[in-house]
Amino acid sequence: MIRASLALLATSIALCSALAPSAYATTVYAASSLTKFVPTIAPGNTYSFSGSDTLAFQIENGAPADVFLSAAPLYAERLHKKGLCTTPVVFALNTLTFVTPISNPAGITRVQQLDRPGGYRLAVGGKHVPLGIYTRTLLGKLGLGRALQKNTVSSYQKASDLTSVIALGSAVAGFVYTTDWHANRSRLLPIPVPKSAQPLIRYMACAVIRPGADTTSARAVIARLLSLSGRQALANAHLGLPPKT
Amino acid sequence: MNTRTRLFRGVLTLALVITLLFLLIPIAALLLQVPVRELPALLRETAVTSALLVSLKTSLIANVLFLAIGTPAAYLMALGRFRGRPLLLTLIELPLVLPPAVAGIALLTAFGAFGLLGSTLAQFGVVLPFTQAAVVIAVTFVAAPFYLRAAIAGFSALDRNQLDAARDLGASEAVVFRRIALPLAADALRAGWAMAFARGIGEFGATLLFAGSVASLTETLPLAVYAQLDVDFNSAVAVSILLLAISGGVLLVAKLPPLWSLTPTSPPVGGW
Repeated sequence: MIRASLALLATSIALCSALAPSAYATTVYAASSLTKFVPTIAPGNTYSFSGSDTLAFQIENGAPADVFLSAAPLYAERLHKKGLCTTPVVFALNTLTFVTPISNPAGITRVQQLDRPGGYRLAVGGKHVPLGIYTRTLLGKLGLGRALQKNTVSSYQKASDLTSVIALGSAVAGFVYTTDWHANRSRLLPIPVPKSAQPLIRYMACAVIRPGADTTSARAVIARLLSLSGRQALANAHLGLPPKT
Repeated sequence: MNTRTRLFRGVLTLALVITLLFLLIPIAALLLQVPVRELPALLRETAVTSALLVSLKTSLIANVLFLAIGTPAAYLMALGRFRGRPLLLTLIELPLVLPPAVAGIALLTAFGAFGLLGSTLAQFGVVLPFTQAAVVIAVTFVAAPFYLRAAIAGFSALDRNQLDAARDLGASEAVVFRRIALPLAADALRAGWAMAFARGIGEFGATLLFAGSVASLTETLPLAVYAQLDVDFNSAVAVSILLLAISGGVLLVAKLPPLWSLTPTSPPVGGW
């Protein structure tokens, strides 16, 4: 019994050390809207996808990231200011798409319908996450600033949660990243929104600065993002391209 | 005590210390994040108070539901003899192993606007998503199995001779259930209820996807923690501490002997 317990204890300690990350893989922390894209441009690396705010929070708390790909300048710049990553560069653009479930149960044809009192069930990004901030900018430009008070609005911190809530009909409409709409085209119907109302959505990349970070490989991943083949891959993933630098 | 016994006890103590440290260090770290005197102010924010109200109200209804329906159901599961009982027991436990987000998707595909039952409900004008009813369903769905499991185990452990004795004395089945089985299984039921309550009030994933996160309507405390993380870290921690206090309080109360029980519990046998 004693020997068995000690053996078990030793085994668990051994197992724990086996779970520690290996020192040689480059770890890419990327916004969840890049989930399909990143493995095509940086194959063979370790990835972690989540909301940019969550990723930035994890990196600030010492997560073993080498590259940070943020869906909004805010988070990359925040890390840079704290000395936690190199100067961020814009590598991709995105837009918002106003979508309903494919069957469009509420019969929404124009975004201006959101201005009517009576209330649709809308799914919208949280007030303080990039998607929510962009959505509010777009509504503001359309003069629909009060649309979020006139409807029943459910807030989501993660873009992917929002997409499934609309696809499954919990919400009758909502604003998603265009890339997320492309990934769920069979379940989401796009409703046109004037181009002039689109917010400027810039994705930024930076190499994480921390003891033990693989800065060389991180810089190589970022260089590939900006290269010709990188731009081709971005376009294939329905992301917009920033002007060449 | 000989050396071997002492060594064995040492190993046990070491295991317990490791277990406690592992489980309690994160909670202690959370409590140390925010100065205690800032807590009241952080918890008075409207976002927090409205989330607290939503959580308490929906949890109360969900708990009444699974206690009222789950208790007799568990009694039948424990004492009934019918085919397929092991399979049924497993099915009841299935929601326990569903990842919360999957539970949310499952509820949506059942009761959502396009769901299995949702489209029929919609014909009667019942729309569940983004309502408090949906929160109650989500909480009940994830919490009830915890109670059912404990209640079935509690009823199964009853001494059947005692139940038969009551029957021989002329007690009806309903009286046996109410006067004999319920009081005897009370400890198990209370412990199961406490676990289910704690799981229910901490429910996150299924609520977010099925009931949505509509401020002061379906935004419960756990959803508020998640939303607050992006705004104010201290406020998120304060809400987490509130959640811990509520769940911890209920778990503790359930473990204390009830005030009305006058029968002394028998002392543990053969302890060290």
